[in-house]
Amino acid sequence: MDDRHAIENYLLTGAEEDFCALFEAVYPRVRRYFLLRGMEVGEAEELAQDVMVIVYQRAGEVREKEFFTGWLFKVAKNELARFWRRRQARRRIAEMEPLDDELAEMLLTEMEVAGSSDFVEWVSYLDPAERDIIILRFVEELSYEELAVALAIPIGTVKWRLFNAKKKLAPIIKASLPTAARRFN
Amino acid sequence: MTHLFSEEEWNDYIEGRIDDETRDRIEAHIIGCLSCWEFHERMATATRALVVCGAGMRVAFALQDRRLNAGLRAVFAKINEAEAAKLDQPLRAIQQRLDALAAVMAPMCGSQTATKALRAAAQVSPACSLELVSEDNWTPFLTSLKTIADVMCGETGARLVWERGQS
Repeated sequence: MDDRHAIENYLLTGAEEDFCALFEAVYPRVRRYFLLRGMEVGEAEELAQDVMVIVYQRAGEVREKEFFTGWLFKVAKNELARFWRRRQARRRIAEMEPLDDELAEMLLTEMEVAGSSDFVEWVSYLDPAERDIIILRFVEELSYEELAVALAIPIGTVKWRLFNAKKKLAPIIKASLPTAARRFN
Repeated sequence: MTHLFSEEEWNDYIEGRIDDETRDRIEAHIIGCLSCWEFHERMATATRALVVCGAGMRVAFALQDRRLNAGLRAVFAKINEAEAAKLDQPLRAIQQRLDALAAVMAPMCGSQTATKALRAAAQVSPACSLELVSEDNWTPFLTSLKTIADVMCGETGARLVWERGQS
């Protein structure tokens, strides 16, 4: 079942089994968004699960199914903001649980991928709002309309922000990838 | 550096979402404007690089089935926890109100007697027992307690119990 069908089915029925299909479609995307926003794997998964709980409880509020993905990332963005606020408020050192071997291996793989990725390096030069729009557009492939819902801004502002973020990245991409840049031409 | 065109028009042109008329205007301009041509090339290259690397990110962060299932189990555990907390909420609220009544009576008649008074009031009210006191049968329970408190703590004490029970 593709993502669109999974979303449509759940919004139509609200049934638990349809939620499972929806979960399979969108949880990896939300988790990836948090990872690309610089969170650690455990935090990203915890937060992505919180987003899915909100989806389970409140997806009925989405009036138009075409905008579900935009709404989903709006929820994710709000949860991320809440997370940073809580973290700033706490500012304490928590004891870490030891990692099991499987998770440790997965973390290593993902961190290696992220660490060596051009994309992650490029977005690190952007401010958080620019990073959001670039990740949501080029990794999560949100349409302009979905971006407008996710970021709660008009479509004109979406285009303006995308343009400016790309303008900022253009010389960085050119400088960091002299050989690969030719590949993209 | 946008010359005759807005940021939105440039963005739409580079992403191939522009209407024919604006596209023709931009192309007619960049043919004769070297700086705009170079700017367009830089932006187009950056856009293509982002598209290619964005696709790479989707593959790199793909999730194994086992982690996906663990995530789903965790979500259902959180949903169940939230629903259980919602069900417990009225019970906890009643318990807090009973504790508050006991706290008002204890200085006047002792804590054990206060607890016994609460039990007795519940038994003679529609609740029949302290464990079954709820929002629905709260007022008759409180009325019974006030009658008992009147005897044990006097009129002022009984009024205090009544007022506390209504807050």
